[in-house]
Amino acid sequence: MAGILDVPKPRINCSMLSQHINKPVCFVGRVEKVHPTGKMFTVSDGEGNMATVELNDPLEEELSGVVEVIGMVSNKGGIMATAYNMFREDKGTLFDLKLYNEALKVIHDFPQHYPFEVASSS
Amino acid sequence: MLSTTESDQCCSLNIFNSVVCLYLYLIFQNIRKIDGGNGPARFRVMMSDGLHTLSSFMLSTQLNCMAEDNRLAPNCVCILKRHVTNILKDGRRVVIILEIDVIKPASEVAGKIGDPTPYTEGKPSKHTGFSRDFGKKAPSAMPSTPGKSSKVVPIASLNPYQSKWTIRARVTNKSNIRTWSNSRGDGKLFSMEMVDESGEIRATGFNQEVDKFYSLIEVGKVYYISKCSLKIANKQYTSVKNDYEMTLNGESTVIPCEDSCDVPMVQCSFVPIAELENKEKDAVIDVIGVCKSVEEVTRLTTKSSREVSKRTLNLMDMSGKVVTVTLWGEEAEKFDGSGQPIVAIKGAKLSDFGGRSLSASFSSTLMINPDIPEAYKLRETQMKSCVLPLCQLIGILFILYRYDKEGHTMDGQSLTELKGGSGGGNTNWKSLSDVKNEHLGHGDKADYYTCIATIVYLRKENCLYQACPSQDCNKKVIDQQNGMFRCEKCDKEFPNFKYRLILSANIADHGDNQWVTCFQESAEAILGQNAAYLGQLKDSNETAYDEIFQQANFNTFIFRNRVKLETYNDESRIKATVLDVKPVDHKDYIQRLIVNIRKLAA
Repeated sequence: MAGILDVPKPRINCSMLSQHINKPVCFVGRVEKVHPTGKMFTVSDGEGNMATVELNDPLEEELSGVVEVIGMVSNKGGIMATAYNMFREDKGTLFDLKLYNEALKVIHDFPQHYPFEVASSS
Repeated sequence: MLSTTESDQCCSLNIFNSVVCLYLYLIFQNIRKIDGGNGPARFRVMMSDGLHTLSSFMLSTQLNCMAEDNRLAPNCVCILKRHVTNILKDGRRVVIILEIDVIKPASEVAGKIGDPTPYTEGKPSKHTGFSRDFGKKAPSAMPSTPGKSSKVVPIASLNPYQSKWTIRARVTNKSNIRTWSNSRGDGKLFSMEMVDESGEIRATGFNQEVDKFYSLIEVGKVYYISKCSLKIANKQYTSVKNDYEMTLNGESTVIPCEDSCDVPMVQCSFVPIAELENKEKDAVIDVIGVCKSVEEVTRLTTKSSREVSKRTLNLMDMSGKVVTVTLWGEEAEKFDGSGQPIVAIKGAKLSDFGGRSLSASFSSTLMINPDIPEAYKLRETQMKSCVLPLCQLIGILFILYRYDKEGHTMDGQSLTELKGGSGGGNTNWKSLSDVKNEHLGHGDKADYYTCIATIVYLRKENCLYQACPSQDCNKKVIDQQNGMFRCEKCDKEFPNFKYRLILSANIADHGDNQWVTCFQESAEAILGQNAAYLGQLKDSNETAYDEIFQQANFNTFIFRNRVKLETYNDESRIKATVLDVKPVDHKDYIQRLIVNIRKLAA
């Protein structure tokens, strides 16, 4: 199986998690709570829904603001993260999660215009 | 393959008893061309099912190419997908083949299959009992005619060699009653066009039939029609795609059909607008496009001193080209072009007026936002013009934040002093291809539009000029070659001048590009430097000067432009001038694109 970073990862929000179980996805959300172990945190999407992100290794930095997570959706609908990327907001520009969510819905509502194929895991 | 053939043999010979579209495997035997009159050639075909042969097959004329291309060779195995059975006057029956596929070419078949003998109807066979039952049980896929014995057949299967048939067709167009008067007497006639899932046909009624049928027939309704005479169509008067046309006669029947939703509305074969210039003048064609603009209705008086309404509109299709269409009479008065509807016209007449234009005549059918695949395709294409930039923008959104994270400045931030939103609600947003296709600037007055575009080329030659240093005079000065500069306008000489910018730029969006002229402020905004500094740099450090032009490439801005057709030395060209340059407010742009996408999809 190709590494998760090399395959297409559809951008999804919380409501789409259940349709992507065992598939690689890309999720952008706001960090809400980090578990004391540092191996798990919760994120909210542009609609205010929550998802759980699990990590293989504990976090080495303080996590806040908006993050982009790449990972597989678990059977329980959580995200098993392979990589994450923090969008720092201290430069004054805020990431508009609501607008991002609207754009995301457009992508999913018109798959004929956004033919980003979902790779099946072999 | 053969085992399938054998298991189907009872069905295949029972072909007469059913109009059900069974898929029958048959082995092609031979073919014979029938020369009959001046119509298209007909081909008579002999088929076998491995046990029997039957020679009463005919190819429908639209399949003639199969015979002409020799795709039907002896012993090839075919699958008969659609057919109808016609009963001739003398009781003989003929199977018209409407759709047939060769599934195994003759070259792959080892000679003759089986030893079939000619099939005789009614000949007792061991399968008889079963096949009779089968015939009765098989439900007819086509609704049967009310109170009639003849079967409903597709329009495509009609030909002059059969008498008992009924079609179930939707009337798509009905002419007015026209009268004639000549030495042989006078009379009246009307014509109509009908369509079903297989094709279309035109029908004409004269005198008594006008009285009998004209008021009964309503456009858009479905009727069972039978017992009309068929003859070779006169293509000069019609765009209907059928080799034959029918004439209503004394025996003809027209019965309204209630359950009609499965009959298609209208059959069109649309010609792309870009191809109109290759068509002959006066050709009758079908066209579909988005109504990009519409003019007010006007009234004019014809040669026969009749007053008639006229309205012109501009249609653009997927080929990106625009054509002017003229509507007449009631259709001109009723037409509502608001909200850029999709307009389809069947049977519009091509004229060479103003390049190429179309006229919707009395025999044309006008459809607004028709429920046909072509219309959806058009909407989709229209939508792509929003979808594509959105796609890029989502990318930009991320790039911006990545840049931010690494401490880079945002694109175009040096222009923030020029901010002020992206214009009010009445901003005339256009894509560059819209500007060309809608012929902006071709009118008497200049047109103004706003677009989001990217600088793809800046012409740095002659972009700076020496201007009069007086406060409000920007006139070019003449170098007196003695250290003095003369301004003709102020009628004064100055020891100095100021540099001003007049910059030619090529800007592009997802669909097109455009040469524009930028004056002082807009050029400074694009280059990110003021004219005085640029002038100084030009004379002192050419590398740094070039660098500024390089850096300015591929930046994206909101442009507000003025376009006007201008004529120099008998040559007319569109001149576009940039009035204002602003940095793109990406959030605002994304929001607008999403709204547009949702609106178009609604």
